[in-house]
Parts: sequence; structure tokens; C-alpha cells
Amino acid sequence: MFGSFSTTLDTLLALQDAMDRSMKSDYYDMNTSGRGVFPTINLFEQEDNLMLVAELPGIQKEDLKLEVKNNLLRLAGERKIEYGKDLSIHRRERRSSNFDRSFKLPFAVESDKIKAEYKNGLLAVTLPRAEADKPRKISIS
Amino acid sequence: MKAETKEMAKSKEQDLQKQEVKDEKTVAGRFYQPLTDIVESNNALIVTMDMPGVAKENVNVKVEKNVLEVEGQIDSSPYLDTKPIYTEYNVGHYTRRFTVSSEIDTEKIEASLDDGVLHLTLPKKPEAEPRRISVS
Repeated sequence: MFGSFSTTLDTLLALQDAMDRSMKSDYYDMNTSGRGVFPTINLFEQEDNLMLVAELPGIQKEDLKLEVKNNLLRLAGERKIEYGKDLSIHRRERRSSNFDRSFKLPFAVESDKIKAEYKNGLLAVTLPRAEADKPRKISIS
Repeated sequence: MKAETKEMAKSKEQDLQKQEVKDEKTVAGRFYQPLTDIVESNNALIVTMDMPGVAKENVNVKVEKNVLEVEGQIDSSPYLDTKPIYTEYNVGHYTRRFTVSSEIDTEKIEASLDDGVLHLTLPKKPEAEPRRISVS
């Protein structure tokens, strides 16, 4: 009896906790991403490859550093947003920041076949899975 | 104030309020608000918006009755054959509206889009610029 009472209470508390968390999260915001990390990335699977897309509007290609080692991908750089001193600022939502992020990929990639393209403020990196890392199909006789 | 002018002022106010309400979109897909900076110089307002993924030809900027509306559409075709395995941001179109003051010369608004950043220059009307009066 007491046990079932406590689970009901636990369930209610868990529900309250979940609601609190959803209020605090920025999932319901009007922006594409939250205010946490920069730059935000999406990782897609495309047949055997991976495609990483990062939101990096208004960045100079020279300011971007992309490195890969085994299954570790590093994306670093700087985004500068500056306004002259003679301008008065009404609203400032865009951020300037230094960033350095590393991603652990689910498999080793063919490092010399990686393609990176920066277009319209999006950085798209195609990461082909290393031949040696691909699963082998074994025929059963 | 005459009743007539009062009525007119009221309807004008309502008109402005109506514009603040968002129109329903008929384009499929979600719309997000682009992050925006607004700065002011002596002779213009400069609006900068982050719209990653939007190409030049898919941006629409219009000014109607003091409301500046910006809409940017993304190309979602690269994502068609993909399966997201880890996501941090949402992919969607962009739209945002601002009410601009009547001091803006709407005829001379300039817009450019570079690397997913939209730059808008809204020049002020000459009479709205501050005039320095020298004291002799």
C-alpha cells in the first residue's frame, strides 16, 4: 500500500521535473538553435558516409580550422562581429566568439577523402567511412 | 480633438496593431526567427540578420506601412536522403518583422546577403537627421 503511494508520488514528481525541464529548454523558442554551444551542428548519415553541417554565418574561411584524426574531428575558429564606436546599438543577438569543438565520430574516417564546403553560411563536411572500418559481410556456407 | 479625427487616429492605430500580428504562411515548413543586430548611425539604421543556409535569390525584403518584413527560404534538398543521428539546431525557413519609424526613407533601403548574413541599410530621411545648431 505504502509502496504504491510512493510510486504515484514519484511519478508526479517526475512529471513535474519533466515539465520544469521543458520550460527551461529552448526547444519552443523561435530560433533555430538554443543559446548553448557555438557553432551548432547537425550530423547526418548518408549511406556509408557522415555529413556534418555547422551553422556558421558570416565567417571568413581563413578563420576556420578543421582537423581530423582517426575518429576525432575538430572545428575551431573565430567569429568576429564588430561595430564602430560611432554607432549606437539597439539590439544585439548575434554573438562573436572564439570556438573550439571536437566531435567523436562513430567510426574512423578516410581522412584524405573528406570534403568540406562553406556555402551560404553553412559548413558541410562529408566524412566517408574508412574502408578498413567498414563491416565485412561474411557468407555462410 | 474632433470626434472625426479621434476616430481616424484610432483606426490608424488599429491598422498598425493588425500588422504586428503574424500572417499565416502557406509555404510548407517551419519558420524561425533569425538572430538580429540593430545599430544606428547618424544617417541610417543598420540591421544584420543571421540566416545560414539561405541563398541570395531566396530572400524577400519588403516594407509595407512602416513594417519591415524579411523572409528567407532555405533549400532543404541536401537533407532529403539523410538520416539525422545527432542534432543541435533546427532546419527551417526564416522570417521576422520589425516596425520601423516613419523617419526611414523606405525608397532607399539597401540589402545584401553574404555567407548567410543579411545586411540591411535603412537610411533616415534627411529631415530626421539631427541638425547641429551653432551658437554664435
